[in-house]
Amino acid sequence: MTPARQRIIEAAYGCVAAVGFSRTTVEDTARRAGVARATVYRCFPGGRDELLAAVVAWENARFFARLYEEVREATTLTEVLELGLRFAHRDIVSHDVLQRVLQSEPHLLLPKLTVEAAGTQQRIARFLEPYLRQELAPGADVGEGADLLARMLLSCIAAPGRWDLSDPLQVSLLVRGELLGSLGVGR
Amino acid sequence: MATAPSQVVEATVRCLARMGTAKLTAEDVATEARISRATLYRTFPGGKDALLRAVVDAEVTRLCSALGAAMGAADDLEDMLVAGILTAARAVGDHPAVAYLLSHEPGVVLPHLTFGGLERLLAAAGGFCAPYFSRWLEPDDAARAAEWAARIAVSYFLCPSARVRLDDPAAVRRLVRTYVVPGIDALCGRGGSRELAMSHPGERM
Repeated sequence: MTPARQRIIEAAYGCVAAVGFSRTTVEDTARRAGVARATVYRCFPGGRDELLAAVVAWENARFFARLYEEVREATTLTEVLELGLRFAHRDIVSHDVLQRVLQSEPHLLLPKLTVEAAGTQQRIARFLEPYLRQELAPGADVGEGADLLARMLLSCIAAPGRWDLSDPLQVSLLVRGELLGSLGVGR
Repeated sequence: MATAPSQVVEATVRCLARMGTAKLTAEDVATEARISRATLYRTFPGGKDALLRAVVDAEVTRLCSALGAAMGAADDLEDMLVAGILTAARAVGDHPAVAYLLSHEPGVVLPHLTFGGLERLLAAAGGFCAPYFSRWLEPDDAARAAEWAARIAVSYFLCPSARVRLDDPAAVRRLVRTYVVPGIDALCGRGGSRELAMSHPGERM
């Protein structure tokens, strides 16, 4: 990513944080970034739509970077899942911009979180595979197991339901119960 | 809330499948249902919103009925899970109005499938299914298992994977046998549901 592109995305994020998606304009973004409008359009020929999509992708990537920092020291699958769930929940719940967007104008995010979640799912699954491989019986389908785990993690993070993910005991119950149990891990 | 006569519900569903919610008018529904607009307004003085809510209500009731019948007829936990997932996936997946909305007006459907909407869906699905799970599991385990199964069904429905298609009975059985039942066994404590069934043969738990 070029410095200009980075600066523009950060500025757009700042606008979204301040006034939300629908009131974020190319003009305000350019001003905030200290660049000409033409520069914004050069980096984002698709205009405002492309810019906003880039902001979503950027913050999404930052979230995963934070998550990775949190779980990288983990040596077992159990640790990864417990740390990951607790951190992701904390991060999302305290993410003011995300919460506000979800409240007032979720439509830009919803496809990413539902029908287009495959990309995020795959990313998580790929990260989990090595941990899963060291725990599964030989011959088990690691790819499919990792895919299921990724789906369930995303589901629980987005909609905890009966689970209080701020409670380490509950996270442990969930991880060591149906999450790992469904893969035959820990028997 | 007014109960929607089935004639009006079916007519509204047909209209939704053609044009979605945004362009739908009372005129469209009345014409399709072969009733006068006056009759329609009498049944739904709350207008389009009241009509749509009543239609959702009626369709959900229909789904619960089919689900209950399919799950109630099962002889064991695995069969029940397979029947439940297949029935729900077919009912929603084949629903012409849902298909139209997902592709043309996703903003209408998607909020119900993540964050707060998904929480409500899981609570409703889990709540509805838990009694059926109670045939084989302790009540607390039944509620937990029902939420778990609902999560899996929603996830694979929204984002199908190549090997797990919820419209394929063999694929669903493999999913249930390989992952769902072991997950439920684990949440009951080692050996869980199968152990319970074996130690109390013929007894309904």
